[in-house]
Amino acid sequence: MKRLIKFFTSIKLAIVLLIILAVASILGTLIPQGRSLEEYGARYGQMAGLLMKLQLTGLYHSIWFLALLFLFAVNIIVCTLERLGPKYRRAVTPRIESDPKGLLVLKFKDRAKRNVPPDEAAAEVKRLLAGAHYRLKEETVGPRIHLLGRKKILGLFGSDVVHLGLLVILAGGIISGATSIRSNLDLAEGQVKSAPKADFEIRLDKFTTEYYPDGSVKAWKSDLTVLEQKKPVLSQTVAVNHPLTYKGYSFYQTSYGFNWDNPSVEVWAKKKSDPAFLRKLKIKVGERASLDDPEKTTLAVTKFLPDFVLGDANEPVNRSNQPNNPAAFVEGTRDGAPVFSGWIFSNYPDFAQMHAANDKDKEKTTDLAFELKSFDAGQFSVLEAAKDPGVPLIWLGCGLLMAGLALAFYWPTWEIKAVVEGAQGKSDIVFGGLASKSREAFAVEFETVAAALRKSK
Amino acid sequence: MNESTIFVLTFILYIIAAFFYLAFLFTRKESWAKTGSLVAVAGLVAHTAALVVRTVESGHAPFTNMYESISFLSWAFVLAFIIIDRKLKIPRIGPYLMLIVIGLMALASSPLMPKEATPLVPALQSYWLWLHVSVTLLGEAFFAVAFIACLMYLATSDPAKKERMDSVSYRCVAVGFPLFTLGGLVFGMVWAYKAWGTYWSWDPKEVWSLITWFVFALYLHTRIVMGWKGKRSAIIVILGFLAALFTYFGVNYLLAGLHSYA
Repeated sequence: MKRLIKFFTSIKLAIVLLIILAVASILGTLIPQGRSLEEYGARYGQMAGLLMKLQLTGLYHSIWFLALLFLFAVNIIVCTLERLGPKYRRAVTPRIESDPKGLLVLKFKDRAKRNVPPDEAAAEVKRLLAGAHYRLKEETVGPRIHLLGRKKILGLFGSDVVHLGLLVILAGGIISGATSIRSNLDLAEGQVKSAPKADFEIRLDKFTTEYYPDGSVKAWKSDLTVLEQKKPVLSQTVAVNHPLTYKGYSFYQTSYGFNWDNPSVEVWAKKKSDPAFLRKLKIKVGERASLDDPEKTTLAVTKFLPDFVLGDANEPVNRSNQPNNPAAFVEGTRDGAPVFSGWIFSNYPDFAQMHAANDKDKEKTTDLAFELKSFDAGQFSVLEAAKDPGVPLIWLGCGLLMAGLALAFYWPTWEIKAVVEGAQGKSDIVFGGLASKSREAFAVEFETVAAALRKSK
Repeated sequence: MNESTIFVLTFILYIIAAFFYLAFLFTRKESWAKTGSLVAVAGLVAHTAALVVRTVESGHAPFTNMYESISFLSWAFVLAFIIIDRKLKIPRIGPYLMLIVIGLMALASSPLMPKEATPLVPALQSYWLWLHVSVTLLGEAFFAVAFIACLMYLATSDPAKKERMDSVSYRCVAVGFPLFTLGGLVFGMVWAYKAWGTYWSWDPKEVWSLITWFVFALYLHTRIVMGWKGKRSAIIVILGFLAALFTYFGVNYLLAGLHSYA
């Protein structure tokens, strides 16, 4: 039992956990996470059920992975506390007294003689160390004066601060996992919606998509207004990387969509027999407009599909809400009677073919050609509303983590100890140095101090 | 001069530097290494100019596609080596590092890598692109120098050289680990939070950065607390660098995720 407890509180467990966490994490990147049962079935066959049972398909949120992280946290706490006590005592109530023989076996050591009483010699050592920014402690034991000079004591605690940072990050993660709220808001211009559990509302005033010359999207911008009891309190433009934050909620631009309910289209009408004939009609779907031709044709756009494909029965079907293959159905009437109709395609202007309503009008109708020049559907903005109370802890943890790393690697604790003793106006100084890190730099500094002490005055 | 001319000039300078370093390796004459390091610095200056020109021409950070990213990574490798060489005087790492850099530059200039600067998708339009990518890759560059030192540790049988390479690799990790933590994990989390609204999504690239971090944490703990040195330490550093390399290359080509742009 004791050995078991010892294992759980040991650095060995930390090593084992680091390895297991790394291997488990790798596994989670090899097995696609969070897919459907069908997808796993197709991919792994018989194994799919087992993978799901072992929670390998949602590995990072599985009970056993969380248990590993919990064990990791406990191990960090125990190991850190175990080392913290002695370190704290060393920092606050260090042993000032040292044995001259012990000093002389250190890597950095030297000795010097003075023709002055010990207290004067000690004063000189203190001046030197203080000049090199060492904080001094002094103790007289019998005939000996013991000096302890130290700098950058905080460096001792670098690893503890790193561990504290990790624990704070893990705590932040737990809070995020348990309490964060996240939901998508589809907003058309003018629409007002509320984030889940929020006591205020968001209105989309304007949504714009900016394009690069090559047609790819440059930016999505949503002008948002925060409403408190229907009254505007804050207006801000939200774009990707520029969220709006209000009362703990953040609103992110994540995507956009088209509102295909009521698009407007631009249709050009031409006549094969008359190159000079060109009519540009801008109408909404469901409306009609006159072609202003001698035959007095009226054109109506009755349907619009953003992504036209032919279905199983060769009927027109809309495949998606993305404008991949925009198509409009146009109908021509004369004197109130239908004469022709057909689909026209924005991507395939030559593909359009008008079908005459009856044989009588065939000749006259095939003379007309239509092109779907452009279309304009209202776009709506897709925002993500998120409230994550764990986030402040995450940033605090990250700050501690980095501060701890800086302390651990670049704030080395250096110590110089000296023992001064003597009689009849003569003193003997023995001194030695200790550096936890950056020993090369410490060697240079120690040598400067030593050189000054060796110079006899 | 346009960017591709300066890039070719950089490439040539790196090849010359590698020749001098190889000459040093075979003749053991310090003067060859000195000349090699001067040429490498000249190459780095030219490379910096190429990156600046690229930035000015494209109007965005020079690491948004694989060509730019590999070019920047090579730049970081050379910079990390020059810094470490200044501090610790380890010209022996030079020939191997320059050969890796030449390999990377060749990969960047191969037809596999599209060179055109494409406009930035909305998610990448942020100053965090600069901070996140440059600091992470610089950290990985120090891991690369540590990696070479560890390979040399394993390859040599001279105890003095082994001791030296062991210490060099630790000093490199001492620089690379904080940089990687800051750039890869902390800046990555801050940016993810600003762009996607969540600081951590268990996306494959995030997970592999974490794995890399775990491996180097393992290295530091076995070394500082348990007193491991030498061979076992060297093997952990090699694994850590391979994990970093997989985070950088492998995830893009083998695993799909949020980091699909670079």
